[in-house]
Amino acid sequence: MAFFTSPLYVFTTAFLLRLTLLLYGLYQDAHSPLKYTDIDYQVFTSASLYISRGQSPYARETYRYTPLLAFLLLPTTWGPIWFSFGKILFAVGDLVAGFLIVRILRNQGMSQERALKYSSIWLLNPMVATISTRGSSEGLLGAMVVALLWAVLEKRIWLAGALLGLAVHFKIYPVVYGMSIIWWLDAQQLGQGVKNADTLMGKVKNFLNPARVQLTIVSLLTFMGLNITMYILYGYPFLQHTYLHHVTRIDHRHNFSPYNILLYLSSSQDAKSGIRFESLAFIPQLFLSAIAIPFMSSKKDLPATMLAQTFAFVTFNKVCTSQYFLWYTIFLPLYLPNSSLISNPRLGISVLAAWIGTQALWLHQGFALEFLGKSTFVPGLWVSSLLFFLTNVWILGIIVQDVGRNHSPIGQSIQKGESSKKIEKVVK
Amino acid sequence: MRQRITFIQEPEYSTDPKTIHVTKNEKISTLSAKNVIAAREDRITFGFEELPQELYRLLKGCHELHIRWVSEREYSTLGPMASFTKLPVERFSLSAATQYYTPLSSLKDGFQTYLENKICSRSNSMCLSRVQELDTAASLDIDYDTISHALTITAFWPPTQWDIDLQNTNPKERMEVGILSVVPPQEREELSLGGFLTVVGEDTKPSPTLFSFPARHHSLPQTFSTSFNSPTGLHPTLKLSISASEPPFPPDERSCSLHAHLTLPRALFPDKYQFSDPLYLASKNLSALHHITSPIDLEAPSYTLTTWGSTLLLALAPPTLGPSFTAEIPLHLRYLPPSHNSSTYLEFAYPTLFWACPEDEGTKFPINPFDRTNVGYDGLFGPRTMFYHLSPEASEGGRLVNGLEVPVLGLEASGWVEWGTGAVVAVGFAWVVWCLLVGWGGGYGGKKEEGRKKRE
Repeated sequence: MAFFTSPLYVFTTAFLLRLTLLLYGLYQDAHSPLKYTDIDYQVFTSASLYISRGQSPYARETYRYTPLLAFLLLPTTWGPIWFSFGKILFAVGDLVAGFLIVRILRNQGMSQERALKYSSIWLLNPMVATISTRGSSEGLLGAMVVALLWAVLEKRIWLAGALLGLAVHFKIYPVVYGMSIIWWLDAQQLGQGVKNADTLMGKVKNFLNPARVQLTIVSLLTFMGLNITMYILYGYPFLQHTYLHHVTRIDHRHNFSPYNILLYLSSSQDAKSGIRFESLAFIPQLFLSAIAIPFMSSKKDLPATMLAQTFAFVTFNKVCTSQYFLWYTIFLPLYLPNSSLISNPRLGISVLAAWIGTQALWLHQGFALEFLGKSTFVPGLWVSSLLFFLTNVWILGIIVQDVGRNHSPIGQSIQKGESSKKIEKVVK
Repeated sequence: MRQRITFIQEPEYSTDPKTIHVTKNEKISTLSAKNVIAAREDRITFGFEELPQELYRLLKGCHELHIRWVSEREYSTLGPMASFTKLPVERFSLSAATQYYTPLSSLKDGFQTYLENKICSRSNSMCLSRVQELDTAASLDIDYDTISHALTITAFWPPTQWDIDLQNTNPKERMEVGILSVVPPQEREELSLGGFLTVVGEDTKPSPTLFSFPARHHSLPQTFSTSFNSPTGLHPTLKLSISASEPPFPPDERSCSLHAHLTLPRALFPDKYQFSDPLYLASKNLSALHHITSPIDLEAPSYTLTTWGSTLLLALAPPTLGPSFTAEIPLHLRYLPPSHNSSTYLEFAYPTLFWACPEDEGTKFPINPFDRTNVGYDGLFGPRTMFYHLSPEASEGGRLVNGLEVPVLGLEASGWVEWGTGAVVAVGFAWVVWCLLVGWGGGYGGKKEEGRKKRE
């Protein structure tokens, strides 16, 4: 198709898609009592308003983000015309993320047409465009995470460290990427000779190469610097709402997590009774996303490993809403080209059908509860959340097997990538 | 102890003073009358030193205490007691500092038992029978403040037929009895009463009286009923059906606005951020949110909260066309504890609906002997505001409550949840680990290959 031959076509379409949705949203907000704008956007912007009046962003109830986000959206307080500034920022974040996806794929040696096709999974995805233009910040986070991956693959360690620290400050979960990136940054990747060491000290010394040390220090400094600054500015409420809330929260209103009904049940009972599996939920989640997957896969294919980590984190999380799906959607264009989901279309279609089907089943039960008032908690919601969980686990299994089986495209492409870069330079 | 007992009658039922028998003796003075059809208010004031020890100690630590209780039964009212019709099933205390609300369907077990044991002496049969009469009371107020240093209990009964037989056994304690009829007032915002007053123990016959006073609360012929839009789901919408949209005064004469005051249990809550968009408010025939309890957690399940609930005051926007209209108030349900039949029935009091009319002629209300303040919403308006109340119409069973079924987790069905979730997560986890190991094995070969390449 001629459409995918030019970045101009794809990016213009992606831009127009977002512009149309943004304008449509303005129209709907002005004329209908049902709002296009996400409630979260009202939360962000009123937190910005509090900051502009010299107050704490946490004066707005349910603002559970870093003050940095409210700072970024300060222009929304300049007047009614500026109200959509944040949505534009998030949509631009989408486009930047898409641009970086194309860059990463091209550096792997993929043809432009193919790279544009795969990046369209993100760029032309109506769900992604809708979420950003409704004013949800997930797209911005996606841009940060892809920029982090791009910087790592480009060996821009300082930039990668700063982005990692920033992303973790923003949403905590990108901390798992730190594990895979550090493990991936071995001598081979850095283009240095592999030194064999027999002593433990030697092995440790080999492991602590300058890139790893640099990335760790820069990301820690960025993360702690931001935290200390925010703590000085807003004190305990910053810690409470940005971080501690996520540990202690018990607002288990129905969501896709397999633990959801268990949390409802156990939170309403006495602390003593029951086995309390839910208090151990972080073990499988963190074991897979922060330990097993990074160490067993990252050296083979870093982008696909980050996808698997995110997938594991979201699948095994105690809370799971559809916004979290964006966290892994951004990695799909980087994984799918070498996946068995594409090489075996029957598998790919079954996986997609199961993912959509079990989600639809859950949504059907959720609708009956939320709007019809039917008690569908058990078996309806519970069983469909477990089926959705099993579908996700199935997909996760396919991803990690693919990563293991495939001769890593990125790992292999180090030379290729560098050579293609050289070629580009030559062309320029 | 001082007592003021007032019977208020419709003009057509006015009692002939000849049928009121008054006796005066050194020990026992009495007042009696048969077949008096009237609403009744008893107001008893206790001096600080007359109170039982524990009450004395409790009140010593208080600056002000106001308790309001209203029966959940639907009943009719007469002029001065207009405000008594609203806020059913409630025990309400309001001061600048704290506020607490809990449903209480009857006074019988707690309050009446306490009065019988602590206030009445065993032998005093009149005291005991007066306490028993509280069975049928429509409302009860208890007030204390440090300035008056006195505790006042005021009870109100809706119109019924009374055989009055009152005794005063202690001439030092004042007992004033009024049998009064409602008289058409001179001014619209006034109330006029005419009839007979007797101080039992001092007077030998009733003395005629006629007086008028401005009143804070008035009744309107307009009525309202409330119900939920069906299905209620987890976001029930409370629908107010109001019989007329006409204000009590023409707008050019005085500007009045229609308000709804809701007292909600913690299981049901309003989201204040929902009431900020003018388009949204207009679509529900609302105009503004004037007051809401703060803070209200928008996420927590009911059983983790320690607060009792919330109140909110909304201004309604009656449409200019059409006599009757409906307004809708969006509410949200919290998760409630799991139950055996997968649902929990939730009840809460009818809202109070009134037109609030600011009075700007320097009117004050201290001379109204039946004035009633601290009813929950009056403090949210200026001191010179008049309230014109719409009468609630109970939808079923004569009770002024709204009820709805809340879906909850069924306890029977959830026996498997704990183990089932644990097992499925374990299987999922094991599968991923197995896939990782399979992949890793495959990858190992790749590494060896690379190693070989290097050697080459």
